[in-house]
Amino acid sequence: MNNRKRTALCLLGAALCVFMTFGAALALGRYPITPAALLAGDAMAVRTFTVLRLPRAVMALIGGFGLGAAGFVYQTVFRNPLASPDIIGVSSGASVGAAFAILFVSSGALSTTVCAFAGGLAAVFLSLGLAAAAPGRSKMSLVLAGIAVHALAQTLLMLLKLTADPEKELASIEYWIMGSLAAVTRSRVWFPVPVVLVCCAAIFALHRQALLLSIEEGEARLLGVRVGAMRLLLLTLATMTVAAVVSVTGLISFVGLLAPHSARLLAGHNRHSACLLSGLLGSALLLAADTLAKTAASTELPVSIFTSLLGVPFLLYLILRPGRDAS
Amino acid sequence: MMPQTTPPPVGLCVQDLTVRYGTAAVLQGVSFSVPVSGQLIGLLGVNGSGKTTLLKAAAGLLPHTGQCLLDGVPLESLSTRRLAQTVSYIPQQSGISVSLSAREVVLMGFNPRLGVLQSPTAAMRAAADEALRTVGLADKAGQDYLTLSGGEKQLCILARTIAEDAPLLLLDEPDSALDLANRSRMTALLAQLVHTGGKTALVCLHDPALALDSCDILVVLQGGGVAAVLHPKTDPPAVLQAALAAVYGPLELLPVTDCRGRRRLALLPL
Repeated sequence: MNNRKRTALCLLGAALCVFMTFGAALALGRYPITPAALLAGDAMAVRTFTVLRLPRAVMALIGGFGLGAAGFVYQTVFRNPLASPDIIGVSSGASVGAAFAILFVSSGALSTTVCAFAGGLAAVFLSLGLAAAAPGRSKMSLVLAGIAVHALAQTLLMLLKLTADPEKELASIEYWIMGSLAAVTRSRVWFPVPVVLVCCAAIFALHRQALLLSIEEGEARLLGVRVGAMRLLLLTLATMTVAAVVSVTGLISFVGLLAPHSARLLAGHNRHSACLLSGLLGSALLLAADTLAKTAASTELPVSIFTSLLGVPFLLYLILRPGRDAS
Repeated sequence: MMPQTTPPPVGLCVQDLTVRYGTAAVLQGVSFSVPVSGQLIGLLGVNGSGKTTLLKAAAGLLPHTGQCLLDGVPLESLSTRRLAQTVSYIPQQSGISVSLSAREVVLMGFNPRLGVLQSPTAAMRAAADEALRTVGLADKAGQDYLTLSGGEKQLCILARTIAEDAPLLLLDEPDSALDLANRSRMTALLAQLVHTGGKTALVCLHDPALALDSCDILVVLQGGGVAAVLHPKTDPPAVLQAALAAVYGPLELLPVTDCRGRRRLALLPL
């Protein structure tokens, strides 16, 4: 089978998975809603569907796509298959922001969202600023700056946790860090969804430049890429995407790492399709994980449990399946 | 009386180029000029003599003092985009580390002529395939670059250079990963590209025998400065021999005629 056909099939398959998991996310939940009740205009069913079920499914759909596409950008720009939003501190920065909001502002949804988003961006811009101040401005200094900022954020988070009231505040912080879409309602999706959509559109428009950043820096520069500016732009777009998602959902592990890997293993070297595929796989994974998180037990479970539980076997299968390309 | 006009400067001119790593000068006041285009200029010297440093400085990848001028225009004054349109750089090994088809690698060569959001046109795709055909990789266009052999990778990057169509080529030991057959192919393609396309190529080479055989001009570096500028096709063998022996140690150059009747120089280390 030629590559074009294989990629088209992969995209089609992934889109089908997204469609099915989106359907499941709409159909399943704590409060049973039947299509008949919705069509009949049952007030409770319609309200539950439009205020809770639909926004939550849309958040999982768009959020998963954003995490997958952003993960792809991080791995390509850093030329490192292990790169994830944490490599330049976005997740840990967002955690500090959320913990700060829970302790000092209010544990309301709006304040944690705003503070987590600000914390994520602040951490990344601190990393980028430190790296820009280093002589040579290499990719390596950005990674080192990211590690330093990540460590700093972890320390701050620990200090914040120490001062937290263990009964309520500490539990809120821990629950936020574990990640969940349980708190997503209609009033909370207006912020992350447009941010993710705009940033992802820009990422796709710039995919050729992202590809050029994946080669050696000097070589890229002599192919006409303004390496520093383009790297900053793409990382900002990817970071805004991740920060917008986690500011509402809390940390979601593994999607940003797993989706790009799976996309590459499936689609091979068709690069812009691989980025799209990474987004679609992210959506399907998060939709499936969230549906399990809300239905598997009698209480809501953290979504990261299921992103990992579903993702690890899939990744292992892709790595171990026979006939895989050496690349 | 007609007013006297000076012809516009052509060719490559390196003026007083100095590069420091920390306080140590790796290149100190390097100057030479090749006032004609269509020349394959070989950079020779032992390890650590500054060949790669000179190439990287000319490509604008290392901070330096002094200037590199192409056709009278200092490369240092060009924007990233203009520099990319003027200079094509082939590193010792391309830093491509992600899966990409050979065709996509060649298409990268069109980037200096495309806007940030533009995609390569159909004509560019056709030209990329043509460049791959020129280097003999027509059947590998769809193959993953990372799965190509070392020689094929270098030929693929040469195809990218053909696509770039820049007037100055900077090549860092393009023969380092190649076997004998691929090396001849590479140098023949390069010579053809330079001589028929009127380009200037500055090529770092390890092997003086290959340099004597393929280059029009040799710039021999020693201890961070220019030890000699040689013209292998016109200089007497004794002059070439003395200049090379001063850098590489005792050697003998023997003029020979190959089976096709071409006069060549065989290099024997002593």
